[in-house]
Amino acid sequence: MEQLNQALAFFAEAKDTYVNVYFGILRYLVPALSLILLWRCFKPLLWFKREPEIWAWLYLNDGTKYAITHWENVIGRHKSSDVCIDFPTVSRNHAVLTRYDDGSWTISDANSKSGVLVNGKPVQICALEPEDVITVGGIEMTLVPITARQEQLMSQLRTKAGNGFDSVANLLFLTLLQCLFSLAFMMGGKAENFSHILMGFGGIAACQWLLLIFYALIRRSSFELETVAFFLCTLGMAVIATVDPTETVKQLIAMVIGLVTFIAVGWSLRDLERAKKVRYLATAMGIGFLVITLLFGQEYHGAKNWLLIGGFTIQPSELSKLCFVYAGASTMERIMNKRNLILFIGYSVVICGFLALMNDFGTALIFFVAFLVIAYLRSGSVGTIALACTSLGFAGVIAIKIAPHALRRFSIWRHIWEDPFNLGYQQTRAIMCIASGGLFGLGAGRGKLKNVFAADSDLAFASLSEEWGLILGILAVLCVVAIAIFAIRTAALARSSFYIIGACTAAAILLTQAILNCLGTVDVLPLTGVTFPFLSNGGSSMICAWGLLAFIKAADTRQNASFAVRLLKRRKEEPDEQSI
Amino acid sequence: MNRVSNRASAVFLLIVVLLGGLGFFLYEYCTTADQWVVSAGSPHVYNSTNIGCGQVVDRSGTMLLDLTASRVYAGDQTIRKSTLHWLGDRQGKISAPAVSHYAREMTGYDLIDGLYSYSGNAGQAVLTLSSDIQKVALEALGDRKGTIGVYNYQTGEILCAVTSPTYDPDNVPDIEGDTSGAYEGIYLNRFTQSSYVPGSIFKVVTTAAALESVADIQERTFTCTGSYAYGNDKVTCEKKHGTQSIRTALANSCNCAYAQIVELVGKENMVKYVKQFSVTEPVEFDGITTARGNYDVSDAAAVELAWSGIGQHTDLVNPCRYMTFMGAIAGGGTAAEPYLVAQVSVGEEITYTAETTMTERIMSEETAGTIRAFMRNNVEAVYGAGNFKGLTVCAKSGTSQLGGGQTSNAMFGGFVTDAEYPLAFIVVVENGGYGSSTCVPILSKVLAACKAELDK
Repeated sequence: MEQLNQALAFFAEAKDTYVNVYFGILRYLVPALSLILLWRCFKPLLWFKREPEIWAWLYLNDGTKYAITHWENVIGRHKSSDVCIDFPTVSRNHAVLTRYDDGSWTISDANSKSGVLVNGKPVQICALEPEDVITVGGIEMTLVPITARQEQLMSQLRTKAGNGFDSVANLLFLTLLQCLFSLAFMMGGKAENFSHILMGFGGIAACQWLLLIFYALIRRSSFELETVAFFLCTLGMAVIATVDPTETVKQLIAMVIGLVTFIAVGWSLRDLERAKKVRYLATAMGIGFLVITLLFGQEYHGAKNWLLIGGFTIQPSELSKLCFVYAGASTMERIMNKRNLILFIGYSVVICGFLALMNDFGTALIFFVAFLVIAYLRSGSVGTIALACTSLGFAGVIAIKIAPHALRRFSIWRHIWEDPFNLGYQQTRAIMCIASGGLFGLGAGRGKLKNVFAADSDLAFASLSEEWGLILGILAVLCVVAIAIFAIRTAALARSSFYIIGACTAAAILLTQAILNCLGTVDVLPLTGVTFPFLSNGGSSMICAWGLLAFIKAADTRQNASFAVRLLKRRKEEPDEQSI
Repeated sequence: MNRVSNRASAVFLLIVVLLGGLGFFLYEYCTTADQWVVSAGSPHVYNSTNIGCGQVVDRSGTMLLDLTASRVYAGDQTIRKSTLHWLGDRQGKISAPAVSHYAREMTGYDLIDGLYSYSGNAGQAVLTLSSDIQKVALEALGDRKGTIGVYNYQTGEILCAVTSPTYDPDNVPDIEGDTSGAYEGIYLNRFTQSSYVPGSIFKVVTTAAALESVADIQERTFTCTGSYAYGNDKVTCEKKHGTQSIRTALANSCNCAYAQIVELVGKENMVKYVKQFSVTEPVEFDGITTARGNYDVSDAAAVELAWSGIGQHTDLVNPCRYMTFMGAIAGGGTAAEPYLVAQVSVGEEITYTAETTMTERIMSEETAGTIRAFMRNNVEAVYGAGNFKGLTVCAKSGTSQLGGGQTSNAMFGGFVTDAEYPLAFIVVVENGGYGSSTCVPILSKVLAACKAELDK
């Protein structure tokens, strides 16, 4: 017993020494582990093999056959058509072949000159039966959907995305990081915060394992995007643990709500028909959130974008972003119709007006970028004029309405060192703290940026770099870049343009937030008070980020990859008449 | 579909913006992070405007300020009070630019590790000050306002520089609520930030100008009848000094004689030599720029010119500058520039070592030698050589009149000529009355302490 007491006393005396040793090792261990983990996650995201799904074959009467690799396919003379028939009587964009969730197909006329005939009758839109003869510009063709047996074979032949072993290994790495973080904060922090820190990091760990188990149960194996998101959440928790440990649990709750949103959004997108219905609801909610904010919102720091509900403050404009993605996403049939684009522009103008009234410059900018991406994806060059006009109006309204707030920020932009104690206070402190941290950081709880306003939200990138090093800050940015690159790559394989637009817009919003947050903090751009996805302290922002991630998941058609993409039905094997 | 998925690449534009912006920041980081770290207000380096990291010790290693954990001052109350204006306070009301100037050397910053230090070794700045002398000087000054400065005119080390009033940073008095005036200008470092009416100590400047510009000045005699008239105006003395040489006139501090000497030198030469001696120029060292003096006779009438040569009129001199001027006379026309920070080190590595730089030659060796003899005569004939045991002190006192019924400021400047004790000094006691009677007892204690320090 006495020996034990002696040993304990020895450790108590040597506390400073072993804390220093631990911190000294940790500053290299954390970046090293993060690098390994992210490399393992990025690799499949950035270099996965693009294997298209084949849904049907289109046989032309001259004997050629085309593989139909999407659910929405443009037939036309234009080079970028999915089925390109270079024949003078075929219009540039002639018709759209569409597949539905139940496996049925339709063909619709896309304002072609010579029209579309099914079994000799001109049609505007027509459900296709087996053996129907379609005539496009005088060329006859038949659509032969793949059979259930072929579907099954295809799913067996395609490479499965990820595997359970890798996912578990990655999560073990992440859990180790979370343990190291908690230990560091408990060593360097006050005893009364121990429970907050344990709950914060432990909560993330529990959530990530539960989600992995859920995926295993529904036979989904790709967990890289989620691992990257959980990694960013962990870094965010490390920032909150130093700036305000009492907020860790609040952030954890937000993350759980975020995960629920993630699954709910993913589920809604799983079925295209359902997604199209949710779209109307979301469009209405997008406006609704903003109206509620305008009516009942509180003004903090110049922007009236906070809603106080039972002690919790939420930012409904964050949730509006999610709704905006729904509103912007659209199927090919609708894209071909210009009227729909005009309606969307109108909708955007209304949203812009509300944001102007709220004086929320950062969010307005994010909506603007999202609008640009959606408008470009939908219209290509056709809508350029409308696009330019709207952008101009957008920018003009922002400039005029938000002038006093925004101008002040713009006036100090690239001049922060001329007024480091007033207008340039936040950014100069952030940059000085980043520099003080060096590449490997000063260690848990040893930062001083926490005394500056918004250190864990607007300046989260700097707080992270200060204590854990610039390398980790850069890794956080690369996480967002990797998610975005994956979204762009996977978009090409998505089943419907609805998913392409959804995934690309979600990626664009995440990127824009990272751009405004990170580059705003370091004075490359003006500071706009936008949150860093998954990293910044902020519940609404966290929920929105997870919701956006679901849109990217919905475009991921790799075999067994995503819960937001339906597996081919395990139908009862039908008698197979055709040879394979 | 193809069309839409091809357009998806547009999102790459945002990735380019993000990575480009980050790359731009990293470029800035690599090139300027060392400046960012020590920029004004840097949280890890400064505490408000004062240094907030490392340690500051005096010349013999006595801890003056330890910032490694919090802001801990010296253990001794008088040392705390006497060094406060060089270290800065907790609230940032007193700024201490000298130590902050070496923030970069103190932090041990490097691009890879930032401010992280494995050994936990904080930077350490060694001041040239001696806490023992500081203590003696502040105690000698008592609760009177003023400043005392002593420096080695051969090396430039400032051994003593106290300013009063001051306070104990560990027991901050109610300064705002005070009505007695005892804390007036308490945040000011009078040694560097003030300029005083010099009074008769300025006669040394006039003497030097006369020696340089009037060839037969030492052969001439000047008669004092107690006053010297310019029309309705006059320059007066407290008593009739009779006929004197310039040497005795300096010892008697005879205003009437000096009015005549100024006439001989002339306005143009006065301006020329004041400029040549840099008497009104600020002294710059360790990131400090002292207050500027004043010598403006552009619109001066004859009587005003006379008073300007006696250190009145609109004359102003900064104590640190006058001390350096004294050093130049002692050093034969040139002296070391004063400095406060001797060395900065981080762990084992020495990151800064002060180097002695000499002022430009301001007067001929001969002139300097003559004035040295005159000033030695002042001590022997008037101030009493016995007040400075073991030291050959040369000095000039001054009693600068302030007007408005205020008691005059007592001023005393000079130097020690002994080779082992190359010290120049300035003593200012605000409203202290007669220069010599007020300052000599103070200086006697301070110089004894300096001698003891150099004998170590």
